[in-house]
Amino acid sequence: MSKDYDVCVIGSGAGGGPVALTLAEAGYSVVVLEKGPWLKEEDFFKDEIACCRRSTYTPNLIDERHVLEEPDGEGGWDAASTFDSGWDWWNGTCVGGATNFMSGFFHRMKPDDFRLVSAYGPVKGANLADWPISYEDLEPWYDLVERRVGVSGRVVTHPHQEPRSSTDFPFPPTAEHPVSQWIDRACRELGYHPIPIPRAILSVPALGRNACAYTNFCGSYGCSTGAKGSSRAALLDRAVRTGRCEIRPRSMASRLVSDRRGQVERVEYFDDAGEVGRLDARIYVVACQAIETARLLLLSPGRKHPNGLANNRGQVGKNLLFSAGGSGGGDLAYVGRPPEQIAQLKVRGLFVNRALQDWYVHPDPNTGAPRKGGTIELLFRHANAISRALAQKRDENGELIWGKPLKDRIKAYFTQGRHLRFETFCDWTPVDDCFVRLDPREKDKWGLPVARVRLGYHPRDLDVGRFLARKGVKVLERLGAENISWGVSGAPPQNLVAGGCRFGSDPETSVLGPDCRAHEVENLYVTDGSFMPTGGSVPYTWTIYANAFRVAQGLVEELGGKRG
Amino acid sequence: MSMKRRAFLKRTSAAALAAGVPLGRAEDVAPKAQAGDTFDSDQWALIAAVQDHLLPSEPDAPGAREINATAYLDRTLADPKLDPETRELIRNGIGWLNEIAREQAQAPFPEVEPGAREDLLRYIAASSAGERWLSNLITYTLEALLADPLYGGNPGGIGWRWLEHDPGRPRPTPDKVYGRLGRT
Repeated sequence: MSKDYDVCVIGSGAGGGPVALTLAEAGYSVVVLEKGPWLKEEDFFKDEIACCRRSTYTPNLIDERHVLEEPDGEGGWDAASTFDSGWDWWNGTCVGGATNFMSGFFHRMKPDDFRLVSAYGPVKGANLADWPISYEDLEPWYDLVERRVGVSGRVVTHPHQEPRSSTDFPFPPTAEHPVSQWIDRACRELGYHPIPIPRAILSVPALGRNACAYTNFCGSYGCSTGAKGSSRAALLDRAVRTGRCEIRPRSMASRLVSDRRGQVERVEYFDDAGEVGRLDARIYVVACQAIETARLLLLSPGRKHPNGLANNRGQVGKNLLFSAGGSGGGDLAYVGRPPEQIAQLKVRGLFVNRALQDWYVHPDPNTGAPRKGGTIELLFRHANAISRALAQKRDENGELIWGKPLKDRIKAYFTQGRHLRFETFCDWTPVDDCFVRLDPREKDKWGLPVARVRLGYHPRDLDVGRFLARKGVKVLERLGAENISWGVSGAPPQNLVAGGCRFGSDPETSVLGPDCRAHEVENLYVTDGSFMPTGGSVPYTWTIYANAFRVAQGLVEELGGKRG
Repeated sequence: MSMKRRAFLKRTSAAALAAGVPLGRAEDVAPKAQAGDTFDSDQWALIAAVQDHLLPSEPDAPGAREINATAYLDRTLADPKLDPETRELIRNGIGWLNEIAREQAQAPFPEVEPGAREDLLRYIAASSAGERWLSNLITYTLEALLADPLYGGNPGGIGWRWLEHDPGRPRPTPDKVYGRLGRT
């Protein structure tokens, strides 16, 4: 029977782009369904209102929301919709998805991250699992991402440097802020090993794209030059140019319809006018970011899938992951510094790009046994002016400040120093109480149940987060920072999300097989971060890109190899 | 990469209003000519007086007047995508402050002298709904200070200049600001 397309990809972010490009280049017809609009370089500006104060690149919370369950402190759960709480959980609803708005801090996972149980043993109360593939299996694809998405960096020797098949990055590091040298000196005095952070940002014109313009507004902003390696700029634009990839923006996939054998026979979606569209393909690839991917499968029951597509073992939505850890910061005041240092501090636009991985694995302070730690990244506070001003509107006791005191405080904050921060990234230990299901009451503007997410976490994550944060504080102290504060919380960062459709060899405990094909559905794949049983102690995007390229190559082979 | 805990859009709950502040309603204010998109002229005058107090003008630093804070808020509240309860909260607060000014200062708020204005706003801030009202007004006033001038505040970048802030490039164009981008 003839199909509309060879492959239908649902979602256009880090999981969807590599699949669309690989299949289109191999000669197959691809359609990409994307819920949001198709914004391009010429639509992105340094506009804090559009970027960060309103829902411009994401749905309005009146129309579409999540329901979040947080621990109530007494063993139960407090549920609130994101419309009520104001805690927006959308990360980028447009062609290219959240990769448009990432900072592009790119780290690979390390070999032991693929086998946490084997390497460090089980953790009580946690659902740790080894990956069904190894670092060596994924390494060629990490390498491919460096060249195809474009990763700028410089390899340095440090105690936890992972093995690489290529000697160095294909593009030189992005230009560095003068304070990076200060950080290097402070870290070395402390005996630490500062690492230049690889960035998915082109430092030189390449791959048909411009280099970075260093305009000081990167994370949370769409890139106006094309230097940022979003799925759109780096992969989908190229896929479309093959003539075999069609992107349908403003198309919200609402259901995967399965046949009597349990295979997907078509996808239904709502178009911009709210009309139902339908299309079919030989293969369906879901990549809507972990929470929405689980939601789409749960919204798609069929005769062979009464509890949602690929969910006969009740695994869909389980073992959701975030990035654990915390953050801290301090002020590098101008007062008392020589003029040349002040001038250095005032430089705008260049990247700090420094990380520490000295404690990626370290002895457990209680037992002495090796345990997983994580990554510390150093960066200036985001340059957004409104958010920096708003951070001054309450005093230490949380009381509102106004009038001249408010003005004086804002003026001092903006003009008397720079605020240097650190963020820590540790493993989010998978637990039973961190999962996605359909909300029984709240619906979106199409009448579909929204995702309800329980946000439980493992206390271990706070321990490790505190351990790392104290190291970050030491660096700030060595730099002479003032007003240092730090915090570690079990509340997850909603933009660093994975898990929910684990891959594994055992269908009883995983949704996907090692090739990211659903155990229960022959023509269904999931290629966003959902597949990850554990996430390493780094941001996920590079790993998602690499794995999606890996899966896509398998799809090419399954469909009969490269055509033409 | 930071955790976006946007708390400023917290909704008004009925319970939060029961905090001893007499409730007035925005509709009680007689409409007059020369209104904005959201405020009638009395509401405009009251909001302008409050903002003037929250971000006062100084010889060497712009205040609410110089940054067109009231016009900015009036326009922002007319956004059809705004949480309707935020609009309602702002309007309700105007009623509360009117009521309190009449009771405690025997005058409309804009005619109360500055020292007494502070007392009235502190009184309002003592209730949770009043506190949220003021918090929202401060938020939108600071947006007017630092948003791109295309949104109606920060004329000529006066707020950026005061704070030595470089807003970056490219600057937005009128056809692609929030509310218009992606609609074509």
